[in-house]
Amino acid sequence: MNGRTLDEDLSAAARRQGDKTVLVTQQRSVTFTELDAAAERVAVGLLALGVQPGDRVAIVLPNSVELAEAVYGVMRSCAAITPLNPTIKAGKLSQLLEHASVAAVVCDEERAEVVRAAVARSEREIPIVDDLASIGSRRDGDRPPHPLDSNLGAVVYTSGSTGEPKGVTLTQRNMTFVADSIIEYLEMNERDRILCLLPMSFGYGLYQLLTCVRCGATLVLEQGITFPGRIVGLLESEKITGLPAVPTVFQVLISLKGLAERELPHLRFITNAGAGLPAATLAEVRRTFSGAKLYSMYGQTECQRVCYLPPDQLEVRPTSVGIAIPGTELWVENEEGRVARPGEIGELMVRGSHVMQGYWEEPALTADRLRPGRWPWERVLATGDLFTQDEEGYLYFVGRKDDLIKSRGEKVAPKEVEEVLHSLPGVREAAVIGVPDKLLGQAVQAHVAAHAGHELDPAALKRGCAEQLETHMIPQHVILHTALPRTANGKIDRRSLSGKTPPQD
Amino acid sequence: MNDTDVKAELRKYVEENFLYLRPELDLHDDEDLLQKGILDSLGFVELVDEVQTRYGVTVNDLEITEENFGSINAIVGFVDRKRAAA
Repeated sequence: MNGRTLDEDLSAAARRQGDKTVLVTQQRSVTFTELDAAAERVAVGLLALGVQPGDRVAIVLPNSVELAEAVYGVMRSCAAITPLNPTIKAGKLSQLLEHASVAAVVCDEERAEVVRAAVARSEREIPIVDDLASIGSRRDGDRPPHPLDSNLGAVVYTSGSTGEPKGVTLTQRNMTFVADSIIEYLEMNERDRILCLLPMSFGYGLYQLLTCVRCGATLVLEQGITFPGRIVGLLESEKITGLPAVPTVFQVLISLKGLAERELPHLRFITNAGAGLPAATLAEVRRTFSGAKLYSMYGQTECQRVCYLPPDQLEVRPTSVGIAIPGTELWVENEEGRVARPGEIGELMVRGSHVMQGYWEEPALTADRLRPGRWPWERVLATGDLFTQDEEGYLYFVGRKDDLIKSRGEKVAPKEVEEVLHSLPGVREAAVIGVPDKLLGQAVQAHVAAHAGHELDPAALKRGCAEQLETHMIPQHVILHTALPRTANGKIDRRSLSGKTPPQD
Repeated sequence: MNDTDVKAELRKYVEENFLYLRPELDLHDDEDLLQKGILDSLGFVELVDEVQTRYGVTVNDLEITEENFGSINAIVGFVDRKRAAA
């Protein structure tokens, strides 16, 4: 696989096992040959629209065959993918289109209105492809350029703690390196059939597609967990061998009566990432899927995957997220910048070829997270997350250095939600915090105070948020106050908000 | 309790718990709760819980499907079948 780009994975698999199904969705299934032909067509079509190698192409699609065609089509044109949440609203989309100077947007009819509204705000001409089947034919132009693994592969957006967009910039090499590492420790092979419920705008979801295509496996793609009974049915009927999920999905699955009694003889492994599993849930997940190996993992968009706990260690250290993924190095750094002693809390540092190139056109934010490494050409990633290591080097997540909320495994920047709340009529003060939630990991809780003479309605505030924010950011709880508590120096006292049940004014 | 009562109760439950985010929506009893974006998987877990406690029926893993929980009418039918079998 040396130097083989992600796009070349697809053509290689098509040559090797063209008639094999690569993708199964509720609507349709496609073979490697069909996906390869679609990628070629989409690439030619994008080039004809003026997309240049290295350009960013935004993809605003739910999990579908079209999404996979877009991902591989963009990469085949030697452009970079910018996968975005399909529930994105026009305001945020327009901000990201400008931030990454996106050259074209691929979406579907359902999302075309939002995309058109976002594109209309731009001073540039940004072509919109809202029907992937209609673009591209061999006659449109030349063959796409030859791909290199040093090409720009993706700009993946993630939230900073203040809600500013951070475009994690990855080369093809960053992406193939981590894909190979994941394939190695999960022992993935072409007999695997992976069930993906995670959105592809989320790195954890995207890499299910990339690793399956790279090792010639089959991906069964669903638009989220939807009807849980359907998922259980798919595990059986599609002979699923691997199930990647986040704690919320596991919470839904373990709540199902009868699932633990099912044999599921094909299910070889399950993986958890996005957030840690509480001990009780972990035990319940192991009982429910007793025939499968469970991998506890930790990652972040900046390098995709950081560490994993080998399943044979789960019994020994159930709360650990393990060791560095193959081919990489990790250490915990204390406040003096030295390697922490076992048990000492510090920031987790990552070294390896999967570490991003930086945040797209944000040198200050980049410098904060990419630090000088051992060699002049090397930079290591400061994760911004606090960990400890035990005597044998196994890692334990302690907490975040910032106040980002993790809900359903996805990041929510309190600032971004607070800004929307502030824009709603009658809102004087707003503070958003994460509170423990059995299903979500953390629930988004908004504390709001009204302007004098205004009455606020929690349901109306949630509606206002739903109009401007992606689904996972909408507060589950809105709590009204006469005034938010302040610290001695006048800042909103977030600690006291999370510490006790606030007054229900 | 007859079908009409069950339907009215379920409607009220869905409206109070899930529909407040979408006041503009005029939900029909046959409409797809998932496709309309009224419920997601977490919503279904809550709904299934509610149906189990309220109507004393047991819902198995494979039963949380579109056929049984896809719309208000589907749930009414499901509760009906379950109670008849009990």
